[in-house]
Amino acid sequence: MLKLHTLGKRYGSRWILRDLNLEVLTGECVALLGPSGCGKSTALRLIAGLEHPDEGGIELDGRSLDGIPAERRRIGMVFQSYALFPHLSVRDNLDLGLKIRGMAPAKRREQIDAVLSTVQLVNEADRRPEQLSGGQRQRVALGRALLRNPSVYLLDEPMSNLDAQLRDELRPQLRRLILQGPQPVLYVTHDQQEAMALADRIAVLRNGRIEQIGTPQELYLKPATRFVAGFIGRPQINWLKKTNGACIGIRPEHLRPDENGDRCRLIGREWLGANQLLLLEGAAGQLQMLCSADLQPGENLGVSWSPQDEHHFDPISEKRLSRS
Amino acid sequence: MAMVFGWPMLRYSWLSMHASSVLTGLEPVSNQGANWIRLLEDARFWQDAVQTSRFAALSVGLEIVLALAMALLLDQRWRGRGVVRALSLLPWALPTTMMALGWRWIFNTPYGPLEQMAQSAGLSPLNLLSNPDWTWLATVMADVWKTTPFITLLLLAGLQTIPDDLYSAFRLEGGKTRQALTAITLPLLTPYILIGILFRTAQAAGVFDLIQVLTGGGPAGSTESIAQYAYLNAMRFLDFGYSATVMLAGFVLLSLVIFTVAVLLQISGLLRPLKS
Repeated sequence: MLKLHTLGKRYGSRWILRDLNLEVLTGECVALLGPSGCGKSTALRLIAGLEHPDEGGIELDGRSLDGIPAERRRIGMVFQSYALFPHLSVRDNLDLGLKIRGMAPAKRREQIDAVLSTVQLVNEADRRPEQLSGGQRQRVALGRALLRNPSVYLLDEPMSNLDAQLRDELRPQLRRLILQGPQPVLYVTHDQQEAMALADRIAVLRNGRIEQIGTPQELYLKPATRFVAGFIGRPQINWLKKTNGACIGIRPEHLRPDENGDRCRLIGREWLGANQLLLLEGAAGQLQMLCSADLQPGENLGVSWSPQDEHHFDPISEKRLSRS
Repeated sequence: MAMVFGWPMLRYSWLSMHASSVLTGLEPVSNQGANWIRLLEDARFWQDAVQTSRFAALSVGLEIVLALAMALLLDQRWRGRGVVRALSLLPWALPTTMMALGWRWIFNTPYGPLEQMAQSAGLSPLNLLSNPDWTWLATVMADVWKTTPFITLLLLAGLQTIPDDLYSAFRLEGGKTRQALTAITLPLLTPYILIGILFRTAQAAGVFDLIQVLTGGGPAGSTESIAQYAYLNAMRFLDFGYSATVMLAGFVLLSLVIFTVAVLLQISGLLRPLKS
C-alpha cells in the first residue's frame, strides 16, 4: 500500500503541490488527473525519490520512504517520453539496471527473455528504440518497470505520446501486465477518458491541490466542485445562464428534445456516428446536446431536462450544493 | 559558391600548371607540372604541413576536452550561470587579429604579464615567442582560448537535446551521477563532438591570421602554416604559380582527410543524433 500524507513541494515560494493525502491500496489503480501544471507529475517524482518533498511524507507498505534514495525504493516507473536509452538495443535497455544491480549474466539473460516474451518483443530484442513504433517503445519501458519487480508502479502519462489507435492497443496490455497485478499503481494523466477507463479511483488535481477523490462513477455523478464537473465528462457539461447568479450545470447527454421545453435555435452540429452533438442557442445561453434525431441548422426546437440531473454549485466557493 | 570557391579553384588549378612570377614578367607560362615537382621536393612546404597538422591536432584536441568540461558546467543550474554563459562567448566574438595582438603582449619578453609572473617567481625568462621548440605551443594556447567557446556552444546545444527523463530513468535503475556521464551523456553527445572536431580541424588547418599577427610564422619559420607559405609565395616572392600550387596542395591534403573521415563517420551512423 502506498500512502501519501500532507505531501507538499514548492519551488521558491510557490507551492506546486500542497496537502496531498492519498492512499493507493494493494491491487488498486488510482489516477492522478488534472490539467498540465497541476502538480501531478511532481507528485510522482516525489514518490520516486527523484525530488524531495518540502512537507509531509510517503509510506510504502507501512515503511517511510524518507531518506531512502531513488534506486532503493523498489519503484517501477514509466515515463511519457518512454525514457529509453537511444544508443542501446532493446535488450541492453532492459539489461542496464540488472547489470548495475550486479545480477549474474545467466540470470539476467533468463529474466530479460521472460520479460521480452511477456511484452511481445522477442523479435525486436536487438533493435534500437528509434527502430520501434511508439507502442513498442512504451512496451519496452513497461518491460523495464516489470524487471524491477517493484512494490509500486508509477505511470506518468504513459500513453500521451501515442495516437488513438495505439492507445487502444496498449490499454489491454497495460491492464494485463500491470493493473491486474497486486502492486498499487499510481497513474498520472490529463486525459479524463483514460482515467475513467483504467482507474479504480480518480484524484482530480488543480493548482497542486486535490479537488476530489472518488470512483469514476462518483466523479461523474456527484462532482464535488465546479472544476471537477467541467473536467469529467465529454462533451463538457453545460453551464446554464441564470439571472440570479446561481451556478448550475447540466450534461449534454441529459438534455432531450421536448415540444414543451425551452425554445432553442440550432446553430451548429457535429455528427459523431451513433448520435449528434447539437449546439443550441436559447434563453439559458449556449447548450450542447447529444441527440440521435437528424436536425438541420437553423431549425428551432424545444429542449428540456430533468431537474435531478442538474448539478448545483455555490457560485463563490464553487463547491457542490447538496439538494434534497 | 561558384564565384568565391568554384572559380578560384579552377583558376588555381590552371595557375599551378604555369610559371607566373617576376621571372616571367608575371605572365603565366605553361611549365608542365614543374610546380608540383618542386612542391614534392620542397622541405619548407612539408615542414609547414607537419607544423599545421600538429597545431590543428593539439588545438582541436584541447578545445574538445575543455569545451566538454565547460558545456557540462554551463548545463548545470547555478546562480549567475547566464552571465558566465554570455562572458564565455566573448573570446569567440573578438576579431582574431585583435585577440592575437593581446596574446602577443601577454607573451611579450620581458614586459608581458606572463613573463613578469615568471620573473617574480624567480624563473628564467620564458621567451615564449622566440623559442623555435616552444613557440608553436603559444599559438595553440591562443587558438584554444579563442575557439573553445565555439565548441562549448555546439556541445551545450547537444547536451540540451538529451531529455532529463533519461537521467531520471538511469537513477531509478541504480546508476550514479558520474556513471551517467559515460553511460548516457558521452554516447549521445558523440555526433556533436565529432562535428565539432571536423569543423574545427578544417578551420585550424587553414589558420592564417592568428599566426600572422602573433608570430609572423617565426621564430625560424617554426610556426609557419601552409596558408602563410602560400601567402608569402604570392605576396612577397611574387611567385603566383607556385603559391597556387601550395594553396591547392594544402587544400587537397585537408579535404582528403576531412572527406575520408566524414564519409566513414556518415557510413557508421555516428554523425546522426539518436532519438529516444
